[in-house]
Amino acid sequence: MDSRTHATGPAGHATLVTRVAYGQWHALEDDLVVGRGHLQHRPDGRLFISVDAWHDAAFARLAEAMTAALPGPLHTVVDEADSELAAAWRRAGFTVARREVEYAVPTGPEVTGLCVPVPPPGVTLVPAGQADEEMLREVDHAIRAEVEATVGWRAMPAEVVPRADGDTIVDPSLYAVAATDERYLGLIRVVRVKRPRIGLLAVRADDRRRGVGRALLAHALGVLHRAGISEAWTEVDASNPAATALFRGAGARPVGSTLELVR
Amino acid sequence: MTGHKNVIEVEGKVVECLRSAMFTVELENGHQVLAHISGKIRKHYIRIMLGDRVLVELPPYDLARGRIVFRYRN
Repeated sequence: MDSRTHATGPAGHATLVTRVAYGQWHALEDDLVVGRGHLQHRPDGRLFISVDAWHDAAFARLAEAMTAALPGPLHTVVDEADSELAAAWRRAGFTVARREVEYAVPTGPEVTGLCVPVPPPGVTLVPAGQADEEMLREVDHAIRAEVEATVGWRAMPAEVVPRADGDTIVDPSLYAVAATDERYLGLIRVVRVKRPRIGLLAVRADDRRRGVGRALLAHALGVLHRAGISEAWTEVDASNPAATALFRGAGARPVGSTLELVR
Repeated sequence: MTGHKNVIEVEGKVVECLRSAMFTVELENGHQVLAHISGKIRKHYIRIMLGDRVLVELPPYDLARGRIVFRYRN
């Protein structure tokens, strides 16, 4: 256990910050827990931290103790609407590394304008649960390699599901794909837990700007609509204009945004 | 381990989604608190929606506000 006493909090009590376990810190005032810090190791190796404190002084003490004890870079996630929390992290030396916009995506064709999925000539859409697993893994690996070379897939904050080494397909039955006779061109993953979430929509670099992504989206939304589901949701990197245009063009409306901050 | 257990945790239901990432949660005793999402579950991209059943942590000196620390599946 590693403890250090700091200057007083707002009630005039000394704030004691204690590392109570490997990834846990407590801020104590008169033996009351007035804040907690938590460390999380992401599967991609990045370190994410969070601080929950009942007042600014405890937040600052925890952030100071954690950043001093942990190797950088350190990441954290805040709701952009929570301006006080974002400001507290900025005071702790963190800066915005990424902004994600959360969209509510309607499924009804009268709203989306995507009545019938129309893939490019020679391309067919394979529904979820019917994709060949080997080809699915091949296209997923290929696209990930392309993205790593450009904007960096590793920076996707929502890619947090632990998985076996090298396997990026956790549940093949969740993926619909766009295919030619020779190979798969793109994929879309929809998870149905409470509100359906479009977790991934990606197309090989050579096959972009042909309507493959739009056809995959139309297909997935059509499946949801026929199942009686009126709305899905997704997050889009605010610096990705193509993805933003695709979803906005389908009637998606922004409902929130998340900031990833790094120090 | 921690040894520090002096927090109050109560179950409740989200009855209103407010601006600034805040929520009104009605506790089991009918009392309503203004709550925000904990950083720990924010890190996991867990979304809180109207009607969700949640676990709320209350500060030791102010029972009118809280922090959502867990969302139940049903």
